[in-house]
Amino acid sequence: MESLNLLTALAHVNVEQGFFYVLAAIAIPLAYGVVFDRNVIRSGFLLIGVFATIAGLFFLLQAQFLGLSQILIYGVGITLVIVIALMLTNARQETGMNPALPANVGLASFVSVLVFTTIYLSLRSAEDWPLKNESSLSLPPNIEMIGKHLMTYYALPFEFASILLLAALVGAVMLSKAEPASLANAGDEAEQAVDGTDRV
Amino acid sequence: MNSAVFEIGKFARLTLLWLCIIFGAVWGVSWSIGVLLPAVILSQSGESGRFWAQLLQALVPVVAVALFVPLNTCYMVLAERRLLALFTVRKGPNRVGPDGAFQTVADALKLLLKEEITPRGADLLMYTLAPVIFFAPSIIGVMPLLAAVSGNHPLFTPVNLPTGVFYILAVSSIPVVGVVMGGWASNNKYSLVGALRSAAQAISYEIPLLLSIITVCLLAGTLDFVQIADNQRGSLLNWNILGGGALTHLGIGSPWWSIAAALLLAACCILLFALYVICACAEVNRTPFDLPEAESELVSGFNTEYSGIKFAIFFLAEYTNLFIVSTFAAVMFLGGGHAPFPGLEDACISGLRGLLAAWFGACTPFQLGWLVNSLVNPATVSQVFWIIVKSYALVWFASLIRATLPRLRIDQLMDYSWKRLVPLALILLIAVTFLKELV
Amino acid sequence: MLGMVGRAAEGFYQVCRGLWTVFKHSGRPPTTKEFPDVMPELPGAFRGRLALAVNPETGEHLCISCRQCERVCPDKCIDITAHKSPQTGKLELIDFKIDHGLCMFCGLCTEVCPTSCIINTSDFEMSEYSRGALIYDLKRLTLSQEESAYYFAKKDLPPPKPKAKPAPKPEAAGDAGESLAQQPSDVSQQPGPKAEE
Ligand code: SF4
Ligand code: SF4
Repeated sequence: MESLNLLTALAHVNVEQGFFYVLAAIAIPLAYGVVFDRNVIRSGFLLIGVFATIAGLFFLLQAQFLGLSQILIYGVGITLVIVIALMLTNARQETGMNPALPANVGLASFVSVLVFTTIYLSLRSAEDWPLKNESSLSLPPNIEMIGKHLMTYYALPFEFASILLLAALVGAVMLSKAEPASLANAGDEAEQAVDGTDRV
Repeated sequence: MNSAVFEIGKFARLTLLWLCIIFGAVWGVSWSIGVLLPAVILSQSGESGRFWAQLLQALVPVVAVALFVPLNTCYMVLAERRLLALFTVRKGPNRVGPDGAFQTVADALKLLLKEEITPRGADLLMYTLAPVIFFAPSIIGVMPLLAAVSGNHPLFTPVNLPTGVFYILAVSSIPVVGVVMGGWASNNKYSLVGALRSAAQAISYEIPLLLSIITVCLLAGTLDFVQIADNQRGSLLNWNILGGGALTHLGIGSPWWSIAAALLLAACCILLFALYVICACAEVNRTPFDLPEAESELVSGFNTEYSGIKFAIFFLAEYTNLFIVSTFAAVMFLGGGHAPFPGLEDACISGLRGLLAAWFGACTPFQLGWLVNSLVNPATVSQVFWIIVKSYALVWFASLIRATLPRLRIDQLMDYSWKRLVPLALILLIAVTFLKELV
Repeated sequence: MLGMVGRAAEGFYQVCRGLWTVFKHSGRPPTTKEFPDVMPELPGAFRGRLALAVNPETGEHLCISCRQCERVCPDKCIDITAHKSPQTGKLELIDFKIDHGLCMFCGLCTEVCPTSCIINTSDFEMSEYSRGALIYDLKRLTLSQEESAYYFAKKDLPPPKPKAKPAPKPEAAGDAGESLAQQPSDVSQQPGPKAEE
C-alpha cells in the first residue's frame, strides 16, 4: 500500500481542513442562493448543489456510504422530482410574488433561530466527538462493513424492505388505477386551495 | 457476397486500428508516468523524490481516463456508424483517412471550431453548467471500474473502492440533473419536454436497474468490483450470468433439489442480464428508449439549443456512458476479465510469453529484461483483452438494437418500466436470494 | 399470470427474431453508390436542371416564345423577353431567364411546352457561390445540338419538325410515368382533340 504513504503525507498538511473550508465556502453561498434566488427552479438546482457539497462533507468524514446515498437520494432523486414539479406548475406567477411578507418573516426567523440554537447547542455540548482525535485512516472501512452486513447479516430486513417497496408499488398502481370522480374532485379542491394562497 | 465479407473485414480492420490507438495511447501514458518516470525520479534523487514519484503514480488513473474517454468516443461513434451502415446495407463513412478511420476525429474538430450560440432568454449559468454536470460523472464514474478491468493492476488499485458498485450507481444518477438543467435553461419548449421525459425515464428505469444490480451483488456477496470479478474466475459456468458458479457445484451425486435450484438460478440470472440490458439502454438513452432526444419529434430534445463545444461534451458523455454500462455489465455478468475457457487461453499465453522471452532475450544485453517485465504483465494483458472484447461486444450489440427496434411511446415506456420491469426485478431479487441458499 | 409470461416470451422471441433479421443484413453487399466516383444512372424522366433544347438536326432554337411555360410555372421563376420581329411579324426570343434558386423542379413547364423546347436534363450538380449565379440566361440554358439529340433520345421525344410551320404538340412519350404525368396538362391544353381520341 505505497499510496497510503502519500495519503498520510497529505494528511499531515491538514488537507482535510482545507477541503472542509473549500466545501463550506461553496455550500454556504449556494444555500443562500436557494433562499434568495427569485427563480424557484434555479433555487431548486442550487439545492442540488448544496446537497452535493454536503455529500462532499460526508466523504471528508470517511462516511462514503452516507455521502453516496446523499447524492443518490437527496441530490438527484428527491430534489429533481421537486424541480420537475416546479417546472410543471406555473412558475412565472411566482416570480412576481414577494415571499418575504412581514408576517412570514417573523415566523421564519423565529423558526430558523430556534433550529440554529438547537443544533449549535447540541454540537457544542458534546465535548468530545469520538472522531475528533483519531486519524480517520485507522477506522475500519465502514462502507465495506455496511455492504457485508447488508448482504449477509441483514439480508432478511433487506428483503423486508424490498417487500415493503413492492407493497408500495402495488399501492401506487391501485391508486393510479382508481381514476374516478372522487380523486379528480380532490385534485380540483387542492388546486383551489393553491389559488387561494396565491392571492394572499 | 464477396464484397459483403470485404465490408466486414474493413470494419474489423478499423476496429483493430482504433483499439491499437486507444489502448496503445492509454497504456503508453500510464506506463510512462506510472512506471518509467517514477523509476527515473527515484534513481536520480533517491528518497527526496519519493513524494513526486508517488504523486505521479497516483495521477495515472486520472490521466488514463482523461485520455481514454475522448479517444474511445471517437472510435465508438465511428463503429456505430459503420455498424449501422452494415446492418442497413450501406457503406458508412469511408472518406477521411484509410476507410474513413478518422472521420470522427474530423467531426470532433469541426464541432470544436463551431460557433457557440446561447439562445435568447437562456439562463446562462445553468446553460453552461449543464454539459459539465452531464459529463463529469462519466469521468468520475469509470474510476472504480479501472481496477477491475485492469486485473487489479497495482497502479489502479487505489481507485478501487470497497463499494465500487454503489459508487457507480450514485454517480451515474447525476447526469439526469444535467439533462433537466440544460433542457430548462435553453428556454425552448422542445428541450424542456425532452428534459422532462428524460427525468421521468431515468427515475423509472433506475429502479429496476438498481434492483438488478443489487441482485447480482447479493449473489456475489460483495459490492467490490475486483471481488465480483474474481468470484467469477474459472470458466463460462462461473459467470454471474449463469448463476455465479452454481452450476459448477453440481456433481453426479448432488440431490435433485440442488440441481433444480442451480438451473433455476441460472435462468434467473439470464433474465437479470436481460433486465439489466433493457434498463441500461434506457439509462443511457439508447434507441428503443431514446425519447429524451427523439430526433423526429423533439429535434434532438434537451440538447437542441446546444452547439459547438457544449454539444460536443454532451455527445462525449453519451457515448462514454454507453461504454461504462457495457463495461459494467461485462464485469458484473460476463466474468470481468476472465476468459470463458481459461485452459485454452493459458496455453496461448504461455506460448506467447515464450515467444516474447525468446525474442527479447535474443536482443537484450542488459536492462531490457526489467523493461519487458514492467511493460508486459501477462495477467493484466489477458484481463484487459477479455474486458475489451466483452465491453465492445456489448457496445456493438447496442448498435444492433439501435438498428432494429423502433422507439417506444412515452406511455408505453412508463408502463413497461413500472408494470413489467419493476415487479420482475423484485421477483428475481427474492428468487435469487432463496435459490442462492438452496444451491 | 401465465398468459403474461407467455406474451413476454413471445415478445422476447419476436425481438430476437428482429435482431437476427437485421444482423443477417450485414452479410449483404452494400448498395451504396459512391457518388463523385460513380455517377448515378438516372432515368429519362429525372427532373434535373432545366434547359432549352435546339433542333438536333438543324440546330435552330425550338422555343416559339409562346410563354406557356412562364404562365404555368407555379413559382414564377421563368422570365421571357420576346418581341414581334418587324420583318416576319413573328415572335422572336430575346432572352429567357430561369431562376433555379426559385424553381422547384416540378416539371410543369416541360409538360406544357408545345415544342419540347424546355426540358429537364439529368444534371443536378449546380451548386454556386451566390444566388445570382443560379439565374440562368438564354446562353446558359440553351443546349448544344449533341446534347439536345441526347436528351431527345433519352426522353424518347418525337424529333421536332423544322421551324417553318410550328411543330405539332408532341404525343405522350414512351414511358408510362411520363405519359401519366402528361395527361392532365394535355387535357387542359387541348380538350377537343383529346376527347375525340
Ligand atoms: S420546373 Fe416548375 S418551378 Fe421550375 S421552372 Fe418549370 S414550372 Fe417553374
Ligand atoms: S413553352 Fe416552350 S416554346 Fe413556349 S415559351 Fe416556354 S420554352 Fe418557349
